[in-house]
Amino acid sequence: MSAVLEARGLVVDRGRRNVLRGVDLALQPGEGLALVGPNAAGKSTLVRALAGLLPPARGLILLEGRPLASWPRSGLAQRVALVAAEDEAPDRIAVEDRVALGRYPHRGALAPLTAEDRAAVARALRQTEIEHLARRPLGTLSAGERQRAALARGLAQEPVVLLLDEPATHLDVRHQLHLFRVLDDVRQGGVAVLAVIHDLPRAAAWAPRMALLDEGRIAAEGSPAEVLEGPAAERAFGVAIRGVPVGDGKERLWRFEERA
Amino acid sequence: MSERDRRLLVFVALAVALPLVLLAALSLGSVPLPAASVLRSGLTRLGAFGPTPLPEMGEVILWSVRLPRVLIAALVGGGLAVVGAALQSLFRNPLADAGLLGVGPGAALGAVLAVNLGWAQQRFLAMPLAACAGALLALLLIYVIAHAGGRPTLSGLLLTGLAVSALAAAGTSVLLVAVEEFRVRTVLFWLAGGLEGRGYEHLALAAGFVLPGAAALLVLSRPLDVLSLGEEEAAALSLPVHGVRILVFGLCALVAGPVTAVAGSVPFVGLVAPHALRPLVGPLGRHLLPASFLAGAVLVVVADLAARSFGQYVELPLGSVTAFVGAPYFLLALRGQEGRG
Repeated sequence: MSAVLEARGLVVDRGRRNVLRGVDLALQPGEGLALVGPNAAGKSTLVRALAGLLPPARGLILLEGRPLASWPRSGLAQRVALVAAEDEAPDRIAVEDRVALGRYPHRGALAPLTAEDRAAVARALRQTEIEHLARRPLGTLSAGERQRAALARGLAQEPVVLLLDEPATHLDVRHQLHLFRVLDDVRQGGVAVLAVIHDLPRAAAWAPRMALLDEGRIAAEGSPAEVLEGPAAERAFGVAIRGVPVGDGKERLWRFEERA
Repeated sequence: MSERDRRLLVFVALAVALPLVLLAALSLGSVPLPAASVLRSGLTRLGAFGPTPLPEMGEVILWSVRLPRVLIAALVGGGLAVVGAALQSLFRNPLADAGLLGVGPGAALGAVLAVNLGWAQQRFLAMPLAACAGALLALLLIYVIAHAGGRPTLSGLLLTGLAVSALAAAGTSVLLVAVEEFRVRTVLFWLAGGLEGRGYEHLALAAGFVLPGAAALLVLSRPLDVLSLGEEEAAALSLPVHGVRILVFGLCALVAGPVTAVAGSVPFVGLVAPHALRPLVGPLGRHLLPASFLAGAVLVVVADLAARSFGQYVELPLGSVTAFVGAPYFLLALRGQEGRG
């Protein structure tokens, strides 16, 4: 199977700083990938570069085999959706209207909402289980509900790649579990999901595959157990990491200790 | 009441209020004209309903003095309110206003410069075009300065607007010192804002810029909605963020420049109308922009009526009337916003 989104030797500068220094990463259709790494490793930069928001200084990003730069803006946004942790939408906008703005890449500035658009919005609201909040102003929602609305906007884009930057940061455990269940649903539909996740045990529990970003390069890649138990993770995070098998031995309980 | 009903009610109320205040503004004044007679005179002009009931003097007052003035007031208010709504979306701040972002002061500087250099006396369009240029220059200056250090914060943008406004106002003051004495009174009155002595050529000017500009902003209402989600989300949704911003700036200058040239500075209308309507019709441009236009028109027609009803021989400056109402509103709204954090 060929990758839907792929970075090759990706170098991205922010200001004068090399943030990404040659990232190679491929995302298969329907795959779930957790991107982990210490603070300032370049995770947010990588996600934004993959969404086409930051131009590569060197290297290449391929979407469906074509360089990102050669995609028209709307074509790109019809295929790649980005959901950030911080939701900056105005408080007074209704949930449904906010989600419907996710159809912008499909509709442009003038086209009215088609039946297809409406169906996509309804599906996104249903998938994130916020149909009952459809007409509520965003400002009246809890942080968890707001995050669902932001995710629903991304789903309304009907992307083939969903990129999430720290989607679980503001969420309590129930909303976290819900979020990752929704992401699994989305993957069932063939959408590739890449999520930056700070909480390593949470990332390991959800993702079939994990990539460790350290100092602007992919330092390790593989199953969560392979990545977290390898030497690269210890080096990157500067802590001792140990996975204790529990239950049938497939799951692990993760222990982190400061190194002497 | 459902959201849709409430919105409908607001639109119906505004659509009823506007003709009513227009009629009131036509009939009230130093020479009162009965509203029924005003209507019948209008029908006469349309070739119906027999002879006009108004005396000749009344006809002159109604058709040559009041009608252009009242319609200009409506266009000024509508235009400023639409510009305010667009800038509030663009800057993602419900308290943004053309006046606070240097548009008004920039337009004023351009217009005073045109007066000072004598252009305004030579060509009728010189002052409004100079005002457009001043407004656009102020907006672009704010945009460029604020973006010089990378992505600007909202408060950075607004503070830059404050600095540019101060700069433009300072320039205007310097020009005023240099203005020949016989022009000072004109310029001073003009700076305070007012519609005294405005006629059909001013109406044509206001209509020629305000209506197309406001219509174009309405066409851009969805991109403005997307932009209100934040720069990054807007860009990720394929919106050409910088292009849309420049386009909106240009249209705002196109509306606010001639409005300032015709009416002087009329502060706070662009802030109050959309800010008060947002809770009622919601923040989407396709509802907020047309509602703001109607509400701004009502506000300024009433404010102008108040300005000229103040005394028999003295008119209050229109800008002072809107400021007396708008400034306390702004302060209350600011407290409310800070209270929410």
